[in-house]
Amino acid sequence: MSGPRRSTPRRNLIADPGNPALYTNRAMARLKLSQWDNAIADCHECLRLAPDSMKAHYSLSQAHLALRAYDDALAHALKAHGLCVAAADKSLATITAHVLRCKMDRWNDMERRRVRETSDLEAEMLAMLGRARDEAVREAAAAAADQDEGTRREIGAEWDAKIGRLRAVFEDARPQKEKLRVVPDWAIDDISFCFMADPVITKTGKSYERASIIEHLRRQPTDPLTREPLYPSELRPNLDLKQACDEFLAENGWAADW
Amino acid sequence: MSAQFATKRLGKELQKIRNSRLPPGIELVSAENLEEWLLDIQVLDDNPLYQNQTYRLKFRFGSTYPIEPPEVVFVKLSDRPIPMHPHIYSNGIICLDLLGQQGWSPVQNVESVCMSLQSMLTGNSKNERPPGDDDFVRANQLRPKDIEFYYHDNTV
Repeated sequence: MSGPRRSTPRRNLIADPGNPALYTNRAMARLKLSQWDNAIADCHECLRLAPDSMKAHYSLSQAHLALRAYDDALAHALKAHGLCVAAADKSLATITAHVLRCKMDRWNDMERRRVRETSDLEAEMLAMLGRARDEAVREAAAAAADQDEGTRREIGAEWDAKIGRLRAVFEDARPQKEKLRVVPDWAIDDISFCFMADPVITKTGKSYERASIIEHLRRQPTDPLTREPLYPSELRPNLDLKQACDEFLAENGWAADW
Repeated sequence: MSAQFATKRLGKELQKIRNSRLPPGIELVSAENLEEWLLDIQVLDDNPLYQNQTYRLKFRFGSTYPIEPPEVVFVKLSDRPIPMHPHIYSNGIICLDLLGQQGWSPVQNVESVCMSLQSMLTGNSKNERPPGDDDFVRANQLRPKDIEFYYHDNTV
């Protein structure tokens, strides 16, 4: 059963090629099967028919994330988040978590690359200095046979000191990057205790993650602190806080999973 | 919100408690599975009703925590009595608006609930149970948070 079905051209499985929902449904099935490229093709087909499909952007983001295309993953995650907010869709919490995940994976990838490049650079520089040192010692020995053992040792020691200084420079650069991993309280949502991706502010001046406060207001339209009436339409994005959160995350990507 | 959000938030509350310790008179006894926590509380002033006593609290968290309140009751053990209070039934069920569907707020947490209970005891001078305690304890089959308490006396 599974044999012939797999070889069926995939276009044939879509009963109504003009219906965008069929493509996102199949994209989601293909995500589950780890068929990333096929899922991406379905999403693009859906977006051609319905450019504002939240599900298509969300699935596309998941597929890109799996393929480690972090910039694309984040771009589509943010697009899905925006559409989700506009439609007051119930999956906001899930999509918010996905946005943070994209940011963190993207940062981790950059961090891995940075660490690898730095250690490569360090190793190469040390090897170069080592070779230069050996050569200098050799040359000194060849140029003047009358030079005594002491002079040669002096030249060697000079180069060793240079090598030591280079090591120290790299060593100094390391701890600065390995800062103490503490997330500032202002970046944490008091409802989910998660890092905020899309902070919104209430009339009382307190900010929450949009997904969390919307979830609470759905159950009870009151301000969590004052219990005064509060409706989703009264929430405002806190742009300054969002910028501060984004800046902190750009430097400390691990915080997304705090 | 799905269960993973409750688990995540509880994990973080636990981490915070372990990193920075609880206020005096509140101690975490266990939180082995995240859905049920046990804590001990004491009243630290000289209110004669509660001196030299320790009380055991049981928190149960649903998958909708912290959007919905946890279920919080006092538990009776040989060395952990149920505190005497006009809003605490002798089976450990607590009548506190903070823990009800209306009074709960998602910015509350385990620590803040314990502190509220501490101050609820501190401020009490009546050595009595709620009216109808015997009948309630005998007949009640509802879960604490489904009980519609009639707040007969909001001054206590």
